[in-house]
Amino acid sequence: MVMEKKYLIGGAIVLIAVIYLLYLSFGSSVSYYVTVSEFYDRITELDNANIRVAGIITDNSIEWDAEELELKFTLTEGGINMPVIYNGAQPAGFKAGSNLLVEGKYGSDSVFQATQLILKCPSKYESIDIE
Amino acid sequence: MIEAGRIALIIALPVAVFSVLSSVIGARAAYGRLYKSARYGVIIVFGLYTLALALLLYAFFTHDFSVRIVAEHASRDLPPLYTLSALYADKAGSMFLWGWLISLFSALLVLRTQEENRRVISYAIAILAVIEAFYIALVTFLADIFARQPSPAVDGFGLNPLLQNFGMIIHPPLLYLGFAGFAVVFALVIAAVITRRSEMWRDSLIRRWSLVAWGTLGVGNLVGMWWSYNELGWGGYWAWDPVENAGLMPWLLGTAFLHSMTMGRQRHYLKAWSLSLIVFTFVFTLFSPFITHGGIESPLHGFYGSPFPPFILAAIIVVIAGSYVLLYLRRRDLKDEERPPSLLSREGSFLLTNIILVVLVFVIFAGTVLPRVVEVLGGGKIALDRGFFDRTCGPIMLLLVLLMGVCPLLGWGKMAWNSARRNIIFFFLAVVVVSAAILISGVGNWYIAVVVLCGLPLFVVFREWCRGTMARHRSKRENFVRGFLSLIGGNRARYGGFLAHIGIVLIALGIIVSSFYGIEKAATLDIGESMSAGKYKLTYNELVFKQDNVKVSAVASMTVSENGKAAGTMRPSYAYWFNYNDFFAEVAVRTTTAEDLFVSLVWTGFDPADRSATFRLLVNPLIVWIWVGGAFFIIGGALSFSFEEKRLSGGKE
Repeated sequence: MVMEKKYLIGGAIVLIAVIYLLYLSFGSSVSYYVTVSEFYDRITELDNANIRVAGIITDNSIEWDAEELELKFTLTEGGINMPVIYNGAQPAGFKAGSNLLVEGKYGSDSVFQATQLILKCPSKYESIDIE
Repeated sequence: MIEAGRIALIIALPVAVFSVLSSVIGARAAYGRLYKSARYGVIIVFGLYTLALALLLYAFFTHDFSVRIVAEHASRDLPPLYTLSALYADKAGSMFLWGWLISLFSALLVLRTQEENRRVISYAIAILAVIEAFYIALVTFLADIFARQPSPAVDGFGLNPLLQNFGMIIHPPLLYLGFAGFAVVFALVIAAVITRRSEMWRDSLIRRWSLVAWGTLGVGNLVGMWWSYNELGWGGYWAWDPVENAGLMPWLLGTAFLHSMTMGRQRHYLKAWSLSLIVFTFVFTLFSPFITHGGIESPLHGFYGSPFPPFILAAIIVVIAGSYVLLYLRRRDLKDEERPPSLLSREGSFLLTNIILVVLVFVIFAGTVLPRVVEVLGGGKIALDRGFFDRTCGPIMLLLVLLMGVCPLLGWGKMAWNSARRNIIFFFLAVVVVSAAILISGVGNWYIAVVVLCGLPLFVVFREWCRGTMARHRSKRENFVRGFLSLIGGNRARYGGFLAHIGIVLIALGIIVSSFYGIEKAATLDIGESMSAGKYKLTYNELVFKQDNVKVSAVASMTVSENGKAAGTMRPSYAYWFNYNDFFAEVAVRTTTAEDLFVSLVWTGFDPADRSATFRLLVNPLIVWIWVGGAFFIIGGALSFSFEEKRLSGGKE
């Protein structure tokens, strides 16, 4: 029985270490995932937090400054618009009407400062990846 | 024509069910004829399924746009090879191909075995036929693969430009080959447990099927990374997206299973553990389509509106429940005959590898499903960024690399402290001390220590080869090349494993170094302007517009200079695809053994008067070693595969 006890203890240590590792990483990596209208409902709570906001790129809202590599647009959902600034080149498929996820923070200037743009593929292009 | 395909597939379903019943009954000695007809059944299912596949492909290549799947994914101007891959760009089409591969493998299993191990094979056939029937039911009743368009189209919608890449022609079939291969291994192992023949696990039949499944799945994942790197334009190859994790998890579990089996060849333990490993490897091959078909939302890509996930989930529950009921019923047979090993032995390090791999899968699984679980439990929608995976999986993977270095130094059984081993332990300690010193002194960053650690397994394998070759040179007077080759040939399973380890270490090095030493630049240039990154300077010379039936593209021409010396021209392009009403970039990559120079054209106004364009420039060191590692992988797997253990196979009942 000595052997099995050893393995039990070893297993418990591994398990605790893994859960601790998960817990540590989870806290710093998690972000809320809301739509534009949900965001404005919870704005006091989510202000300045790292979040992901989903919406549709508003028609005629895209302003691309090629020299400064600055992309400005508004994201809409539930009848509400949110202005977004992103420093960097636009990803493929970025155009008015596309479903977009923006990751970043809502600043004190009432503009969402995006650090990452993730395009969600409209269902028409269901075959974007075929694993 | 296409109706005949549907009929063939619908007939195949009862034949598969018949094979299940007749092979279960035929497993008994008195029903030899039923066993025979079950075997014919499997081959007939394969024939019918192949007929259905051929008719579907015929529809694709004759541009029969009255068929939904053809109209949605192919078009007249699509090149033939991409027309082939359009089949599995469809959600039903991908399951259809997968099911066909399982029917192919089942037929191969039948044809490659005769009367030997009859009881095991008959149960394996039964399990595989159940799986086949499941797939056939999915693609005929749940989503009709042969469905017609409401009104025939003149031309098809065409294939997504991102999928028009060589990698995407072979990536999905390789994954499905791996998945189907693991279905065969699962069936064989379960059959061996049912028939109380656990010694079968050590048979080369199971070992070889496992190697095929493991190798194709591993290479399939790598090809997916290669595609992502060369086609998606973001310059990375792995984003810890749920659909990527979906392909990685079964491979990691399969790797654990291979190792537990290797250990089982030498010793008789951990039977229940190995059984669990193959059960969950198979479960994760099912979990993969569950994710890609929308069971877990992937922000990036996947199939939308697929009807399959609830049924796949049900299948997963059935497989887990069934396997553990069986495990309970056979608990006496699965009792280990020997004690678990001491950790300071080769068995111990195999066991540790197993545990670490399982922990790794657990962490990836947790990260993949937690957001969904939180949402279902009413905690609102949350997302995990890739930092979560980097921070948790990175250290665990390094531990694995470390173990690869230590394992060959340890002997089977309790370890003897002879002087040779002690030397190696000293070397190992030196590596740890050097790494620790780098870390503590702050001379370099922690990833330098990591690179040093990666050197250990390479050193150990190299040393082993040198010693073996030298020994042969001395004792048999063989020259070094011959000595080396016969050394490898003498124990192909072992040295195949070593080669695969070298592959893994190269991949690890490529990933670590490119992640931490990469350079990224972006700028908008006018004709004649240039930008630089590291030792490279790129001058933007011209932008040419080209138009064909499907797209209008802007092709930039940039001359590259490396340390001031001319080093060729690169041509990234950016195109507007009419059907998709969207822009897609085609990157240009210049590869050397030291680093990749990666340029993508991310924006231009398509204005002949103003040809300014925005470029993204990346310098990714050691990337090519990730793909070279893949080659080691294939060679190692093939070498190991070519090794057949004669003494254990065969055996009539």
